[in-house]
Amino acid sequence: MQNIATAPLVDFVEVFQTVNGAVFQSDRENCWYVDFAGKMARFDYRCMMKLRKAVYHIDIEALLLSSELTPDLEIVFICACDHCYVLTLLEIIAFKELLEGTFVMLELNRILHDRVYRLSA
Amino acid sequence: MKDIIRVKCLLSTEVEALLNQQIKKEAQSSSAYLAMASWCNQNGYDFSSDYFFLQAEEERMHQMKIYKYVLDMGGSAISPEVTNIKIEYNSFKEVFEEALDQEISVTQSLKNIAANCYKEQDFVTIEFLNWFFKEQREEEYKARRALELFEVIGEEGTGRWQIDKNVGKIVYNSEA
Ligand SMILES: [Fe+2]
Ligand SMILES: [Fe+2]
Repeated sequence: MQNIATAPLVDFVEVFQTVNGAVFQSDRENCWYVDFAGKMARFDYRCMMKLRKAVYHIDIEALLLSSELTPDLEIVFICACDHCYVLTLLEIIAFKELLEGTFVMLELNRILHDRVYRLSA
Repeated sequence: MKDIIRVKCLLSTEVEALLNQQIKKEAQSSSAYLAMASWCNQNGYDFSSDYFFLQAEEERMHQMKIYKYVLDMGGSAISPEVTNIKIEYNSFKEVFEEALDQEISVTQSLKNIAANCYKEQDFVTIEFLNWFFKEQREEEYKARRALELFEVIGEEGTGRWQIDKNVGKIVYNSEA
């Protein structure tokens, strides 16, 4: 018997990357993998939308201006999803940047689908 | 790379958010009409009270219509929180002034959604909204006519009693 190490089936496509993290899409699983804050987390459509909403809704300005002595930590908890992030202010800014870039690329992908497949005769 | 988002949902994030905002507006309208029905009832304006009870039900129906549309299109419909409903009015007339204001703000809000839909060529939602535009013709007409009764009949003497009796008789039957 041979011991063949089977590599995990990888069908990831990089959607967007920054120096702080990256987002990949799996067409086979219809989901995204978010590589950020030291972990790789899987998000399906609904959870990805909730993640975006949660991160976009954090009031960064208010956190910057807050004079409380408590550390600038924000917990990003997404209902009904398995993941939770505890992020510093800088990480929140970086996470937002990553997600914004990701959704711009996904929008671009939609335009490509329209132009290349859906609208071509 | 698959276009997962479009496969899952017909609505753009912006239009979905605007529709959820409208769901909330309709819910607020429904509650406001219910408050008006209560005020009219307590002040002896029984016909107006009945009229507002009916309006409250209609707004609830509008809310459900949008709610189901959002879900049918793959979006996420959000059950709205309704707060700050005014329950006291200074006069019988003020109730009808607020009713008209409310209908106008609903029409404006629907126009704003449609403008966004045109911008991104969401003709599917525009077609859906057309039902609401026709409805708003009737809603504004009725609210405006009701308020006009205060001028036509006048509030003096048994005026308010007359106005109350005629509020429920307002119908809009334009075939146009
Ligand atoms: Fe309505
Ligand atoms: Fe209405």
